[in-house]
Amino acid sequence: MQGRWLDRVLLMALLIVCTIWLVVPFGMAILWSLVDPSEPWTADRLLPPAMSFYRWTDMWENSSLKQALTTSYLLAPLAALTSLTLAMPTAYALGRINFRGRELAKLAVLLPLVVPGFVTAIFFTALLFQLGLHHFRFAAILFAHAVLALPYSIRILTVSFEQVRQDHIDAARDLGAGWLARFRVAFLPALRPGIFASLLIVFIQSIEEFAIAFVVGSPDIVTIPTLLFSALGQDYVRPNAAVLSLILVVPNVMLMLILERLLRSANPTLASGKVL
Amino acid sequence: MTSRPWFVVPLLLAPGLGLILLLIGSVVYIAIAQSFGGFNITGTTEGYSLAFWQDTLDRRVYWRAVRYSLQVGVVSALLSVALAYPLALWLRKPFPGAAFIGAILKAPLLVHGLVAAFLYVNVIAYHGIFNQFMQAIGIWAEPRRLQNDPGAIGVYILQAWKNMPFALLLLTGSVQSISDDVLDAARDLGARAWARFWRVVLPLTTSGLQAAAVIIFIGALADFSFQVIAGPTNRMSMSQLMVFFKDRGDWHEAAVVGVTLMILAIAGAAVLTAFLQLLGRRRWRG
Repeated sequence: MQGRWLDRVLLMALLIVCTIWLVVPFGMAILWSLVDPSEPWTADRLLPPAMSFYRWTDMWENSSLKQALTTSYLLAPLAALTSLTLAMPTAYALGRINFRGRELAKLAVLLPLVVPGFVTAIFFTALLFQLGLHHFRFAAILFAHAVLALPYSIRILTVSFEQVRQDHIDAARDLGAGWLARFRVAFLPALRPGIFASLLIVFIQSIEEFAIAFVVGSPDIVTIPTLLFSALGQDYVRPNAAVLSLILVVPNVMLMLILERLLRSANPTLASGKVL
Repeated sequence: MTSRPWFVVPLLLAPGLGLILLLIGSVVYIAIAQSFGGFNITGTTEGYSLAFWQDTLDRRVYWRAVRYSLQVGVVSALLSVALAYPLALWLRKPFPGAAFIGAILKAPLLVHGLVAAFLYVNVIAYHGIFNQFMQAIGIWAEPRRLQNDPGAIGVYILQAWKNMPFALLLLTGSVQSISDDVLDAARDLGARAWARFWRVVLPLTTSGLQAAAVIIFIGALADFSFQVIAGPTNRMSMSQLMVFFKDRGDWHEAAVVGVTLMILAIAGAAVLTAFLQLLGRRRWRG
Protein backbone atom coordinates (compact mmCIF):
# COMPACT_ATOMS: atom_id res chain seq x y z
CA MET A 1 0.00 0.00 0.00
CA GLN A 2 2.84 2.32 0.81
CA GLY A 3 4.20 1.69 -2.65
CA ARG A 4 0.94 2.78 -4.26
CA TRP A 5 0.92 6.01 -2.24
CA LEU A 6 4.50 6.68 -3.23
CA ASP A 7 3.62 6.10 -6.88
CA ARG A 8 0.85 8.66 -6.63
CA VAL A 9 3.11 11.32 -5.12
CA LEU A 10 5.78 10.58 -7.69
CA LEU A 11 3.18 10.78 -10.42
CA MET A 12 2.05 14.22 -9.27
CA ALA A 13 5.64 15.42 -9.04
CA LEU A 14 6.27 14.07 -12.50
CA LEU A 15 3.26 15.82 -13.98
CA ILE A 16 4.64 19.10 -12.67
CA VAL A 17 8.06 18.30 -14.08
CA CYS A 18 6.39 17.34 -17.36
CA THR A 19 4.76 20.71 -17.58
CA ILE A 20 8.16 22.33 -17.24
CA TRP A 21 9.68 19.65 -19.46
CA LEU A 22 7.33 19.97 -22.47
CA VAL A 23 4.21 22.06 -22.00
CA VAL A 24 5.85 25.36 -21.09
CA PRO A 25 8.56 25.29 -23.81
CA PHE A 26 6.18 24.28 -26.59
CA GLY A 27 3.33 26.44 -25.30
CA MET A 28 5.58 29.49 -25.32
CA ALA A 29 6.79 28.67 -28.83
CA ILE A 30 3.24 28.37 -30.16
CA LEU A 31 2.15 31.61 -28.46
CA TRP A 32 5.17 33.49 -29.76
CA SER A 33 4.51 32.30 -33.30
CA LEU A 34 1.02 33.86 -33.04
CA VAL A 35 2.07 37.28 -31.77
CA ASP A 36 0.56 39.92 -34.04
CA PRO A 37 3.02 42.76 -34.71
CA SER A 38 0.31 45.39 -34.19
CA GLU A 39 0.71 45.09 -30.44
CA PRO A 40 3.91 43.77 -28.91
CA TRP A 41 3.69 41.09 -26.24
CA THR A 42 5.04 42.91 -23.22
CA ALA A 43 6.21 41.30 -20.02
CA ASP A 44 3.19 42.36 -17.98
CA ARG A 45 0.72 40.24 -19.96
CA LEU A 46 0.13 36.56 -19.57
CA LEU A 47 -1.04 36.10 -23.17
CA PRO A 48 -0.19 38.05 -26.33
CA PRO A 49 -2.60 41.00 -26.62
CA ALA A 50 -3.23 40.45 -30.32
CA MET A 51 -2.94 37.05 -31.94
CA SER A 52 -2.97 36.20 -35.63
CA PHE A 53 -1.29 34.06 -38.24
CA TYR A 54 0.48 37.16 -39.56
CA ARG A 55 3.95 35.76 -38.80
CA TRP A 56 3.17 32.52 -40.56
CA THR A 57 1.98 34.17 -43.76
CA ASP A 58 4.72 36.77 -43.56
CA MET A 59 7.43 34.11 -43.21
CA TRP A 60 5.87 32.16 -46.06
CA GLU A 61 5.86 35.16 -48.39
CA ASN A 62 8.89 37.18 -47.40
CA SER A 63 11.65 34.83 -46.27
CA SER A 64 13.69 31.96 -47.66
CA LEU A 65 11.23 29.58 -46.05
CA LYS A 66 9.74 28.43 -49.35
CA GLN A 67 13.17 27.86 -50.80
CA ALA A 68 14.29 26.00 -47.66
CA LEU A 69 11.19 23.79 -47.65
CA THR A 70 11.69 22.96 -51.33
CA THR A 71 15.36 22.10 -50.82
CA SER A 72 14.77 20.05 -47.68
CA TYR A 73 11.81 18.14 -49.01
CA LEU A 74 13.57 17.49 -52.33
CA LEU A 75 16.79 16.44 -50.67
CA ALA A 76 15.18 14.06 -48.19
CA PRO A 77 13.31 11.68 -50.53
CA LEU A 78 16.25 11.62 -52.95
CA ALA A 79 18.65 10.83 -50.11
CA ALA A 80 16.27 8.13 -48.86
CA LEU A 81 16.05 6.45 -52.29
CA THR A 82 19.80 6.74 -52.91
CA SER A 83 20.59 5.34 -49.49
CA LEU A 84 18.18 2.46 -49.97
CA THR A 85 19.69 1.59 -53.36
CA LEU A 86 23.23 1.72 -51.98
CA ALA A 87 22.31 -0.23 -48.86
CA MET A 88 20.52 -3.15 -50.53
CA PRO A 89 23.51 -5.15 -51.85
CA THR A 90 25.51 -4.74 -48.63
CA ALA A 91 22.50 -5.64 -46.49
CA TYR A 92 21.96 -8.73 -48.65
CA ALA A 93 25.56 -9.81 -48.14
CA LEU A 94 25.46 -9.13 -44.39
CA GLY A 95 22.09 -10.76 -43.92
CA ARG A 96 22.27 -13.83 -46.13
CA ILE A 97 25.88 -14.75 -46.88
CA ASN A 98 28.12 -16.22 -44.26
CA PHE A 99 31.53 -14.83 -45.18
CA ARG A 100 34.71 -14.30 -43.23
CA GLY A 101 34.89 -10.92 -41.52
CA ARG A 102 31.14 -10.42 -41.52
CA GLU A 103 31.03 -9.25 -37.92
CA LEU A 104 33.83 -6.78 -38.63
CA ALA A 105 31.94 -5.50 -41.67
CA LYS A 106 28.81 -5.02 -39.55
CA LEU A 107 30.86 -2.97 -37.11
CA ALA A 108 32.59 -0.93 -39.83
CA VAL A 109 29.18 0.07 -41.20
CA LEU A 110 28.67 2.12 -38.02
CA LEU A 111 31.74 4.32 -38.66
CA PRO A 112 29.82 7.44 -39.78
CA LEU A 113 28.12 7.54 -36.39
CA VAL A 114 31.43 7.79 -34.55
CA VAL A 115 33.07 10.65 -36.45
CA PRO A 116 31.68 13.99 -35.20
CA GLY A 117 29.34 15.64 -37.73
CA PHE A 118 31.27 18.87 -38.06
CA VAL A 119 34.56 17.05 -38.65
CA THR A 120 32.91 15.11 -41.48
CA ALA A 121 31.30 18.28 -42.83
CA ILE A 122 34.46 20.39 -42.89
CA PHE A 123 36.83 17.83 -44.34
CA PHE A 124 34.22 16.62 -46.80
CA THR A 125 34.20 20.24 -48.01
CA ALA A 126 37.99 20.12 -48.20
CA LEU A 127 37.68 16.95 -50.27
CA LEU A 128 35.21 18.69 -52.61
CA PHE A 129 37.69 21.55 -53.05
CA GLN A 130 40.46 19.08 -53.85
CA LEU A 131 38.32 17.38 -56.46
CA GLY A 132 37.07 20.69 -57.83
CA LEU A 133 33.50 19.67 -57.11
CA HIS A 134 32.64 22.41 -54.61
CA HIS A 135 30.20 24.06 -57.01
CA PHE A 136 27.91 21.05 -57.03
CA ARG A 137 26.62 21.80 -53.57
CA PHE A 138 23.23 20.14 -53.84
CA ALA A 139 24.63 16.92 -55.26
CA ALA A 140 27.38 16.94 -52.63
CA ILE A 141 24.90 17.31 -49.77
CA LEU A 142 22.69 14.61 -51.31
CA PHE A 143 25.64 12.22 -51.56
CA ALA A 144 26.78 12.93 -48.01
CA HIS A 145 23.27 12.55 -46.58
CA ALA A 146 22.77 9.25 -48.39
CA VAL A 147 26.12 7.79 -47.34
CA LEU A 148 26.06 9.08 -43.76
CA ALA A 149 22.61 7.53 -43.27
CA LEU A 150 23.80 4.15 -44.57
CA PRO A 151 24.45 2.77 -41.06
CA TYR A 152 20.74 3.06 -40.36
CA SER A 153 19.48 1.65 -43.66
CA ILE A 154 22.03 -1.16 -43.79
CA ARG A 155 21.33 -2.19 -40.19
CA ILE A 156 17.57 -2.26 -40.71
CA LEU A 157 17.71 -4.06 -44.06
CA THR A 158 20.26 -6.61 -42.84
CA VAL A 159 17.79 -7.73 -40.21
CA SER A 160 15.03 -7.85 -42.84
CA PHE A 161 17.16 -10.01 -45.12
CA GLU A 162 17.90 -12.33 -42.20
CA GLN A 163 14.18 -12.81 -41.75
CA VAL A 164 13.61 -14.02 -45.30
CA ARG A 165 12.99 -17.74 -45.01
CA GLN A 166 15.18 -20.05 -47.03
CA ASP A 167 12.34 -22.57 -47.51
CA HIS A 168 10.26 -19.86 -49.19
CA ILE A 169 13.08 -19.15 -51.61
CA ASP A 170 13.61 -22.86 -52.23
CA ALA A 171 9.91 -23.48 -52.70
CA ALA A 172 9.70 -20.66 -55.22
CA ARG A 173 12.72 -22.03 -57.05
CA ASP A 174 11.32 -25.57 -57.06
CA LEU A 175 8.11 -24.25 -58.53
CA GLY A 176 10.13 -22.81 -61.36
CA ALA A 177 10.11 -19.15 -60.37
CA GLY A 178 12.68 -17.03 -62.12
CA TRP A 179 14.96 -14.51 -60.46
CA LEU A 180 12.42 -11.70 -60.42
CA ALA A 181 9.49 -13.83 -59.36
CA ARG A 182 11.56 -15.33 -56.52
CA PHE A 183 12.38 -11.85 -55.30
CA ARG A 184 8.74 -10.84 -55.46
CA VAL A 185 7.24 -13.81 -53.63
CA ALA A 186 9.99 -14.82 -51.21
CA PHE A 187 11.98 -11.67 -50.48
CA LEU A 188 9.64 -8.74 -50.84
CA PRO A 189 7.05 -9.67 -48.19
CA ALA A 190 9.77 -10.01 -45.56
CA LEU A 191 11.63 -6.93 -46.72
CA ARG A 192 8.73 -4.52 -47.09
CA PRO A 193 8.58 -3.13 -43.53
CA GLY A 194 12.36 -2.80 -43.50
CA ILE A 195 12.34 -0.92 -46.80
CA PHE A 196 9.73 1.54 -45.54
CA ALA A 197 11.52 1.96 -42.22
CA SER A 198 14.81 2.58 -43.96
CA LEU A 199 13.31 5.13 -46.37
CA LEU A 200 11.66 6.93 -43.50
CA ILE A 201 14.66 7.01 -41.19
CA VAL A 202 16.93 8.40 -43.91
CA PHE A 203 14.24 10.93 -44.83
CA ILE A 204 14.11 12.15 -41.23
CA GLN A 205 17.90 12.14 -40.88
CA SER A 206 18.22 14.22 -44.02
CA ILE A 207 15.53 16.74 -43.02
CA GLU A 208 17.20 17.18 -39.64
CA GLU A 209 20.84 17.12 -40.70
CA PHE A 210 22.55 20.41 -39.94
CA ALA A 211 26.36 20.19 -40.10
CA ILE A 212 26.77 19.10 -43.73
CA ALA A 213 23.97 21.34 -45.02
CA PHE A 214 25.44 24.29 -43.10
CA VAL A 215 29.11 23.85 -44.00
CA VAL A 216 28.81 22.49 -47.54
CA GLY A 217 25.68 24.41 -48.51
CA SER A 218 26.44 27.91 -47.27
CA PRO A 219 25.76 30.41 -48.60
CA ASP A 220 23.69 29.23 -51.60
CA ILE A 221 21.70 26.34 -50.25
CA VAL A 222 19.23 26.83 -47.43
CA THR A 223 17.54 23.95 -45.65
CA ILE A 224 15.08 24.23 -42.78
CA PRO A 225 17.70 23.59 -40.07
CA THR A 226 20.20 26.08 -41.55
CA LEU A 227 17.43 28.67 -41.91
CA LEU A 228 16.44 28.12 -38.29
CA PHE A 229 20.09 28.43 -37.24
CA SER A 230 20.43 31.82 -38.89
CA ALA A 231 17.05 32.85 -37.49
CA LEU A 232 18.47 32.05 -34.04
CA GLY A 233 21.70 33.89 -34.67
CA GLN A 234 22.42 36.93 -36.78
CA ASP A 235 18.78 37.75 -37.56
CA TYR A 236 17.01 36.72 -34.38
CA VAL A 237 13.34 37.71 -34.41
CA ARG A 238 11.61 35.69 -31.78
CA PRO A 239 8.22 35.08 -33.46
CA ASN A 240 9.94 34.10 -36.72
CA ALA A 241 12.21 31.63 -34.96
CA ALA A 242 9.10 30.22 -33.26
CA VAL A 243 7.40 29.70 -36.62
CA LEU A 244 10.47 27.95 -38.05
CA SER A 245 10.88 25.74 -34.99
CA LEU A 246 7.32 24.53 -35.27
CA ILE A 247 7.69 23.92 -39.02
CA LEU A 248 10.74 21.78 -38.33
CA VAL A 249 9.41 19.89 -35.34
CA VAL A 250 5.77 19.05 -36.06
CA PRO A 251 6.03 16.99 -39.30
CA ASN A 252 9.11 15.23 -37.97
CA VAL A 253 7.46 14.13 -34.75
CA MET A 254 4.63 12.61 -36.79
CA LEU A 255 7.04 10.88 -39.15
CA MET A 256 8.98 9.49 -36.22
CA LEU A 257 5.88 8.09 -34.60
CA ILE A 258 5.13 6.26 -37.86
CA LEU A 259 8.74 5.12 -37.98
CA GLU A 260 8.52 3.69 -34.48
CA ARG A 261 5.56 1.55 -35.60
CA LEU A 262 7.37 0.42 -38.73
CA LEU A 263 10.53 -0.45 -36.85
CA ARG A 264 8.57 -2.53 -34.43
CA SER A 265 7.22 -4.66 -37.27
CA ALA A 266 10.48 -4.62 -39.24
CA ASN A 267 12.64 -5.58 -36.33
CA PRO A 268 11.38 -6.07 -32.81
CA THR A 269 14.87 -5.71 -31.32
CA LEU A 270 15.43 -2.36 -33.02
CA ALA A 271 12.22 -0.74 -31.83
CA SER A 272 13.88 1.98 -29.89
CA GLY A 273 13.08 5.23 -31.62
CA LYS A 274 15.29 6.93 -34.09
CA VAL A 275 18.58 6.75 -32.36
CA LEU A 276 19.71 3.18 -32.83
CA MET B 1 25.29 -25.19 -51.78
CA THR B 2 26.97 -23.94 -54.91
CA SER B 3 30.23 -22.22 -54.20
CA ARG B 4 30.32 -18.53 -54.87
CA PRO B 5 33.03 -16.79 -56.87
CA TRP B 6 35.35 -14.87 -54.54
CA PHE B 7 34.43 -11.47 -55.94
CA VAL B 8 30.70 -11.64 -55.18
CA VAL B 9 30.89 -10.49 -51.56
CA PRO B 10 33.28 -7.57 -52.20
CA LEU B 11 31.07 -6.50 -55.11
CA LEU B 12 27.98 -6.57 -52.92
CA LEU B 13 29.74 -4.65 -50.16
CA ALA B 14 31.17 -1.99 -52.48
CA PRO B 15 28.19 0.39 -52.84
CA GLY B 16 27.30 0.31 -49.14
CA LEU B 17 30.22 -0.43 -46.88
CA GLY B 18 32.64 0.56 -49.63
CA LEU B 19 31.27 4.10 -49.92
CA ILE B 20 31.19 4.46 -46.14
CA LEU B 21 34.86 3.52 -45.89
CA LEU B 22 35.72 5.74 -48.85
CA LEU B 23 33.94 8.80 -47.46
CA ILE B 24 34.92 8.47 -43.81
CA GLY B 25 38.41 7.27 -44.77
CA SER B 26 39.07 10.25 -47.01
CA VAL B 27 37.59 12.67 -44.49
CA VAL B 28 39.87 11.37 -41.73
CA TYR B 29 42.84 11.18 -44.09
CA ILE B 30 42.38 14.76 -45.32
CA ALA B 31 41.95 16.03 -41.76
CA ILE B 32 45.19 14.38 -40.66
CA ALA B 33 47.10 15.39 -43.80
CA GLN B 34 45.90 18.99 -43.61
CA SER B 35 46.87 19.27 -39.98
CA PHE B 36 50.45 18.54 -41.10
CA GLY B 37 50.30 21.07 -43.94
CA GLY B 38 49.13 18.82 -46.76
CA PHE B 39 46.26 19.39 -49.21
CA ASN B 40 46.78 23.10 -49.35
CA ILE B 41 43.58 24.57 -50.76
CA THR B 42 45.11 27.83 -51.93
CA GLY B 43 47.65 25.90 -53.97
CA THR B 44 50.80 27.22 -52.33
CA THR B 45 52.80 24.13 -51.55
CA GLU B 46 54.58 24.34 -48.26
CA GLY B 47 55.12 20.65 -47.70
CA TYR B 48 54.48 18.59 -44.62
CA SER B 49 55.58 19.93 -41.26
CA LEU B 50 54.69 20.14 -37.61
CA ALA B 51 54.36 23.92 -37.86
CA PHE B 52 50.57 24.03 -37.69
CA TRP B 53 50.45 21.79 -34.67
CA GLN B 54 53.09 23.88 -32.93
CA ASP B 55 51.36 27.16 -33.76
CA THR B 56 47.92 25.99 -32.77
CA LEU B 57 49.11 24.31 -29.59
CA ASP B 58 50.65 27.63 -28.58
CA ARG B 59 47.31 29.39 -28.70
CA ARG B 60 45.26 29.97 -25.59
CA VAL B 61 42.02 29.77 -27.54
CA TYR B 62 42.86 26.16 -28.51
CA TRP B 63 43.45 24.98 -24.96
CA ARG B 64 40.40 26.82 -23.69
CA ALA B 65 38.32 25.05 -26.32
CA VAL B 66 39.83 21.65 -25.47
CA ARG B 67 39.24 22.11 -21.73
CA TYR B 68 35.75 23.49 -22.23
CA SER B 69 34.61 20.80 -24.70
CA LEU B 70 35.97 18.02 -22.49
CA GLN B 71 34.11 19.51 -19.56
CA VAL B 72 30.87 19.77 -21.52
CA GLY B 73 31.30 16.19 -22.77
CA VAL B 74 31.99 14.63 -19.38
CA VAL B 75 29.44 16.65 -17.39
CA SER B 76 26.69 16.09 -19.98
CA ALA B 77 27.31 12.34 -20.13
CA LEU B 78 27.39 11.88 -16.34
CA LEU B 79 24.49 14.28 -15.71
CA SER B 80 22.28 12.56 -18.28
CA VAL B 81 22.88 9.04 -16.97
CA ALA B 82 22.58 10.20 -13.35
CA LEU B 83 19.16 11.69 -14.11
CA ALA B 84 18.06 8.71 -16.19
CA TYR B 85 18.94 5.98 -13.64
CA PRO B 86 16.32 6.71 -10.97
CA LEU B 87 13.67 7.15 -13.66
CA ALA B 88 14.59 3.85 -15.33
CA LEU B 89 14.40 2.06 -11.97
CA TRP B 90 11.07 3.67 -11.17
CA LEU B 91 9.61 2.68 -14.56
CA ARG B 92 11.03 -0.85 -14.33
CA LYS B 93 7.82 -2.42 -13.15
CA PRO B 94 4.69 -1.55 -15.09
CA PHE B 95 2.10 0.49 -13.22
CA PRO B 96 -0.87 2.50 -14.52
CA GLY B 97 0.52 5.39 -16.51
CA ALA B 98 4.08 4.09 -16.68
CA ALA B 99 4.03 3.83 -20.47
CA PHE B 100 2.61 7.34 -20.76
CA ILE B 101 5.26 8.77 -18.45
CA GLY B 102 7.95 6.94 -20.39
CA ALA B 103 6.66 8.41 -23.65
CA ILE B 104 6.54 11.95 -22.24
CA LEU B 105 10.04 11.65 -20.84
CA LYS B 106 11.38 10.35 -24.13
CA ALA B 107 9.63 13.03 -26.20
CA PRO B 108 12.72 15.27 -26.45
CA LEU B 109 14.34 12.50 -28.53
CA LEU B 110 12.02 13.54 -31.33
CA VAL B 111 12.83 17.23 -31.06
CA HIS B 112 15.57 18.68 -33.22
CA GLY B 113 18.54 20.13 -31.33
CA LEU B 114 18.10 23.57 -32.86
CA VAL B 115 14.44 23.60 -31.91
CA ALA B 116 15.40 22.59 -28.37
CA ALA B 117 17.86 25.46 -28.29
CA PHE B 118 15.16 27.90 -29.40
CA LEU B 119 12.66 26.57 -26.85
CA TYR B 120 15.21 27.05 -24.09
CA VAL B 121 16.31 30.50 -25.22
CA ASN B 122 12.67 31.54 -25.46
CA VAL B 123 11.84 30.35 -21.95
CA ILE B 124 14.82 32.02 -20.29
CA ALA B 125 14.65 35.25 -22.32
CA TYR B 126 15.05 38.57 -20.47
CA HIS B 127 11.30 39.06 -20.42
CA GLY B 128 10.61 35.35 -20.75
CA ILE B 129 8.39 33.20 -18.62
CA PHE B 130 11.18 32.02 -16.31
CA ASN B 131 12.26 35.53 -15.41
CA GLN B 132 8.61 36.47 -14.87
CA PHE B 133 8.12 33.50 -12.60
CA MET B 134 11.19 34.25 -10.49
CA GLN B 135 10.01 37.82 -10.03
CA ALA B 136 6.45 36.78 -9.30
CA ILE B 137 7.49 34.52 -6.42
CA GLY B 138 9.80 37.23 -5.17
CA ILE B 139 13.18 35.51 -5.53
CA TRP B 140 14.52 38.03 -8.03
CA ALA B 141 13.79 41.73 -7.82
CA GLU B 142 14.36 42.32 -11.51
CA PRO B 143 14.82 40.22 -14.66
CA ARG B 144 18.25 38.73 -15.29
CA ARG B 145 20.11 38.11 -18.50
CA LEU B 146 20.33 34.33 -18.67
CA GLN B 147 21.14 33.57 -22.31
CA ASN B 148 24.80 32.79 -23.00
CA ASP B 149 25.50 32.55 -19.26
CA PRO B 150 29.23 32.44 -18.52
CA GLY B 151 28.95 29.22 -16.50
CA ALA B 152 27.53 27.34 -19.53
CA ILE B 153 24.59 26.23 -17.42
CA GLY B 154 22.37 26.69 -20.47
CA VAL B 155 24.48 24.23 -22.46
CA TYR B 156 24.26 21.63 -19.68
CA ILE B 157 20.51 22.06 -19.36
CA LEU B 158 20.09 21.61 -23.10
CA GLN B 159 22.40 18.61 -23.23
CA ALA B 160 20.54 16.99 -20.35
CA TRP B 161 17.14 17.76 -21.86
CA LYS B 162 18.15 16.25 -25.19
CA ASN B 163 20.25 13.32 -23.91
CA MET B 164 18.61 12.16 -20.70
CA PRO B 165 15.81 10.51 -22.76
CA PHE B 166 18.40 8.66 -24.79
CA ALA B 167 20.12 7.39 -21.64
CA LEU B 168 16.70 6.48 -20.26
CA LEU B 169 15.96 4.47 -23.40
CA LEU B 170 19.13 2.40 -23.07
CA LEU B 171 18.95 2.06 -19.29
CA THR B 172 15.28 1.04 -19.27
CA GLY B 173 16.22 -1.85 -21.52
CA SER B 174 19.03 -3.09 -19.30
CA VAL B 175 17.19 -2.46 -16.03
CA GLN B 176 14.16 -4.40 -17.24
CA SER B 177 16.32 -7.39 -18.08
CA ILE B 178 17.26 -7.82 -14.41
CA SER B 179 14.96 -10.51 -13.08
CA ASP B 180 12.95 -9.98 -9.92
CA ASP B 181 14.52 -13.11 -8.43
CA VAL B 182 17.92 -11.46 -8.32
CA LEU B 183 16.62 -8.37 -6.57
CA ASP B 184 14.48 -10.45 -4.19
CA ALA B 185 17.49 -12.56 -3.31
CA ALA B 186 19.50 -9.44 -2.56
CA ARG B 187 16.66 -8.15 -0.41
CA ASP B 188 16.42 -11.44 1.48
CA LEU B 189 20.13 -11.27 2.14
CA GLY B 190 19.53 -7.94 3.84
CA ALA B 191 20.61 -5.51 1.14
CA ARG B 192 18.88 -2.16 1.46
CA ALA B 193 17.81 -0.09 -1.53
CA TRP B 194 21.13 1.73 -1.86
CA ALA B 195 23.15 -1.47 -1.55
CA ARG B 196 20.89 -3.21 -4.07
CA PHE B 197 21.58 -0.41 -6.51
CA TRP B 198 25.36 -0.37 -6.08
CA ARG B 199 25.90 -4.11 -5.83
CA VAL B 200 23.24 -5.58 -8.08
CA VAL B 201 21.69 -3.07 -10.45
CA LEU B 202 24.80 -1.11 -11.39
CA PRO B 203 27.01 -4.12 -12.17
CA LEU B 204 24.24 -5.75 -14.21
CA THR B 205 23.55 -2.63 -16.25
CA THR B 206 27.13 -1.55 -16.85
CA SER B 207 27.05 -2.20 -20.59
CA GLY B 208 23.92 -0.12 -21.15
CA LEU B 209 25.39 2.60 -18.97
CA GLN B 210 28.65 2.59 -20.92
CA ALA B 211 26.90 2.76 -24.28
CA ALA B 212 24.72 5.68 -23.18
CA ALA B 213 27.56 7.60 -21.55
CA VAL B 214 29.98 7.16 -24.46
CA ILE B 215 27.49 8.18 -27.16
CA ILE B 216 26.36 11.23 -25.17
CA PHE B 217 29.98 12.14 -24.40
CA ILE B 218 31.01 12.13 -28.08
CA GLY B 219 27.96 14.15 -29.09
CA ALA B 220 28.43 16.76 -26.38
CA LEU B 221 32.21 16.96 -26.93
CA ALA B 222 31.58 17.87 -30.57
CA ASP B 223 28.64 20.18 -29.87
CA PHE B 224 28.27 23.20 -32.09
CA SER B 225 24.71 24.52 -32.09
CA PHE B 226 23.94 24.49 -28.36
CA GLN B 227 27.22 26.28 -27.72
CA VAL B 228 26.72 28.91 -30.42
CA ILE B 229 23.12 29.65 -29.46
CA ALA B 230 23.06 29.23 -25.70
CA GLY B 231 26.68 28.88 -24.59
CA PRO B 232 29.07 31.42 -23.08
CA THR B 233 30.42 33.99 -25.51
CA ASN B 234 33.88 34.24 -23.95
CA ARG B 235 35.05 30.82 -25.13
CA MET B 236 34.51 28.46 -28.01
CA SER B 237 33.79 24.76 -28.19
CA MET B 238 36.09 22.70 -30.39
CA SER B 239 33.57 22.38 -33.22
CA GLN B 240 32.96 26.10 -33.04
CA LEU B 241 36.70 26.82 -33.15
CA MET B 242 37.11 24.47 -36.10
CA VAL B 243 34.34 26.24 -38.05
CA PHE B 244 35.83 29.61 -37.03
CA PHE B 245 39.27 28.66 -38.44
CA LYS B 246 37.74 27.20 -41.59
CA ASP B 247 35.63 30.31 -42.23
CA ARG B 248 38.81 32.40 -42.02
CA GLY B 249 40.42 30.09 -44.56
CA ASP B 250 42.82 28.62 -41.99
CA TRP B 251 42.22 25.04 -43.08
CA HIS B 252 45.34 23.65 -41.45
CA GLU B 253 44.46 25.10 -38.05
CA ALA B 254 40.92 23.79 -38.46
CA ALA B 255 42.43 20.39 -39.23
CA VAL B 256 44.53 20.46 -36.06
CA VAL B 257 41.37 21.11 -34.04
CA GLY B 258 39.45 18.43 -35.98
CA VAL B 259 42.12 15.78 -35.41
CA THR B 260 42.30 16.72 -31.72
CA LEU B 261 38.54 16.36 -31.54
CA MET B 262 38.66 12.86 -33.04
CA ILE B 263 41.50 11.79 -30.74
CA LEU B 264 39.69 13.14 -27.68
CA ALA B 265 36.46 11.43 -28.75
CA ILE B 266 38.20 8.05 -28.92
CA ALA B 267 40.39 8.54 -25.85
CA GLY B 268 37.56 10.03 -23.80
CA ALA B 269 35.23 7.22 -24.76
CA ALA B 270 37.86 4.66 -23.71
CA VAL B 271 38.50 6.37 -20.37
CA LEU B 272 34.78 6.71 -19.66
CA THR B 273 34.16 3.04 -20.53
CA ALA B 274 37.00 1.92 -18.26
CA PHE B 275 35.85 4.19 -15.43
CA LEU B 276 32.28 2.89 -15.55
CA GLN B 277 33.54 -0.69 -15.82
CA LEU B 278 35.58 -0.16 -12.67
CA LEU B 279 32.64 1.43 -10.89
CA GLY B 280 30.50 -1.59 -11.69
CA ARG B 281 33.10 -4.21 -10.87
CA ARG B 282 34.42 -2.69 -7.66
CA ARG B 283 30.97 -2.84 -6.13
CA TRP B 284 30.58 -6.49 -7.02
CA ARG B 285 33.41 -7.44 -4.71
CA GLY B 286 32.93 -4.72 -2.10
